[in-house]
Amino acid sequence: MNHSIETENLSLWYGDFQALIDVNVKIPDGQITSLIGPSGCGKTTLLRCFNRVNERYGNVTTEGKIEILGKNIYDPDVSLPELRKAVGMVFQRPNPLPISVYENILFGLRIHSPMRSLTRTESDQIVEEALTSVFLWEDLKDKLKARATSLQLEQQQKLCIARLLPLKPKIILMDEPCSALDAKGTLAVEELMEVLAGTYTFLIVTHNMAQARRVSEECIFMFLGELIEHRETQALFDEPKHEKTADYVQMRYG
Amino acid sequence: MNAMTTRAERKQKFVLQGIPFIIFGIAAIPIWKALKKTDAADMQVVSPNVLSMLLNDLYILLSVSCLAILLGIVCAFYLEEWLPKNNWARRLIESHVAILTSIPSTLYGILAISIFFSYAGTLKVIDGAPPAQNTESIPFQRNTTLFCGEVLTFIFMVTPVTIKTTQEALRSVATPVREAVFALGASQWQVLRQHVVPIAFIRILAGGCRAMSRAFATAALLIGIYIWYDTTDAGGMSGRFILFLAVSLFLSVFSSSLTEVYDSDLTQRS
Ligand SMILES: Nc1ncnc2c1ncn2[C@@H]1O[C@H](COP(=O)(O)OP(=O)(O)OP(=O)(O)O)[C@@H](O)[C@H]1O
Ligand SMILES: [Mg+2]
Repeated sequence: MNHSIETENLSLWYGDFQALIDVNVKIPDGQITSLIGPSGCGKTTLLRCFNRVNERYGNVTTEGKIEILGKNIYDPDVSLPELRKAVGMVFQRPNPLPISVYENILFGLRIHSPMRSLTRTESDQIVEEALTSVFLWEDLKDKLKARATSLQLEQQQKLCIARLLPLKPKIILMDEPCSALDAKGTLAVEELMEVLAGTYTFLIVTHNMAQARRVSEECIFMFLGELIEHRETQALFDEPKHEKTADYVQMRYG
Repeated sequence: MNAMTTRAERKQKFVLQGIPFIIFGIAAIPIWKALKKTDAADMQVVSPNVLSMLLNDLYILLSVSCLAILLGIVCAFYLEEWLPKNNWARRLIESHVAILTSIPSTLYGILAISIFFSYAGTLKVIDGAPPAQNTESIPFQRNTTLFCGEVLTFIFMVTPVTIKTTQEALRSVATPVREAVFALGASQWQVLRQHVVPIAFIRILAGGCRAMSRAFATAALLIGIYIWYDTTDAGGMSGRFILFLAVSLFLSVFSSSLTEVYDSDLTQRS
């Protein structure tokens, strides 16, 4: 099996505080992998390493190796825009840009292509394709000019996924993508992920055990910056090898 | 965070905020001298053509305040978007800005008159340019010292207010959305140009207009004082007075209508 993401002894410090300790992980291609663990254990930090947005926080030091799609992302010849094109990110609160639905979908492309290089028909087609893949086209085809922030939260979050698609990412990182949604919205997003998995590799952070069980094939448990256990989801929940994993899984589950 | 500052931090803050006071303290000495011997002769102007003089004046002040606003905006972008939060330069400038913006605008006018009039002699040497002799090409023969004084006062009045309002406008652009734009692969420059500026633009513009309106109102007030002092109305001062008041009024109304547009835009958004 191929791996989209591979880390080797990855450590990360915020100033003097070590948030990741020697993380070695391999994320399989075209599957959904979930990342669980108590608050503050470094899930978001690990996720943010993979598209190198951690670096924006100034006092961050990283050690070790991260290979994404077989390429070390800390090599000097790596282009950050290209990396972030290949590795998309969905956030905890839906954060569409305060512009129209239509422009939201095209925003990524506009960043990466020269001014006015898209024709009207091309962009119409791109928008339709992206919205169709996230099951929003029927609902929104008459509302393309509406402000994206006026949509329902569930639609906003789907739109945030849709706006990644025109960039043809390989990996989509999700940081608690359903925590702002209701049960129906959560299920809709999960269903969407299941359809898209295969085309894209998903890595999803979640506090919801049931969700991790429902959607993911593999599951990673982290504790205080360390990767404790990484196995098939079913196995990790049913017969955790590690004591800490067992505690966490049962505490939240029972 | 505020309640938890360490002793060293408090010390540093105290020193940083003390600097502006020292500067004002030094400035106060010539003010004191000036108040004793302000001479209206410095203000004497001769003009054959009142209208062109007025326009000339307006033109100069408008361009100077536009420059001051531009300076403020550039400064605010640099502070807010490039310097880290706890950078010493950022804190130094911000504490100055806080003090400069809290001074009532009338005070600026009075300070300006006193300082620049009392320094008239020295400033003349600094700016060096002799007054233009050809009164036909320049209908309003200016006193260069006074002119420099006006420019500097405008910069001191307009720039800090613009810095503050621009910073607030930039902060109003939600961070989560900025992060999304970064994660889509945009550079810092693209985030600003394609996302932050379009959203913050109206508020930045409104802030600039407000700052300018304040400056014009002060100028009008000073001229008002001058008219009261010199009833002969030499040099069409009353025309100037009305013109400045009108410009100031226009700018403040314009600015508040811009803010209204922005606010209704915001409520639509949420
Ligand atoms: N920008 C930062 N500067 C300093 N410390 C940080 C920063 N971001 C996170 N941390 C610290 O790093 C640790 C891991 O944070 P992280 O956000 O990755 O946790 P998390 O597992 O995502 O938690 P949660 O489940 O609450 O989202 C925490 O102790 C946090 O305080
Ligand atoms: Mg987190």
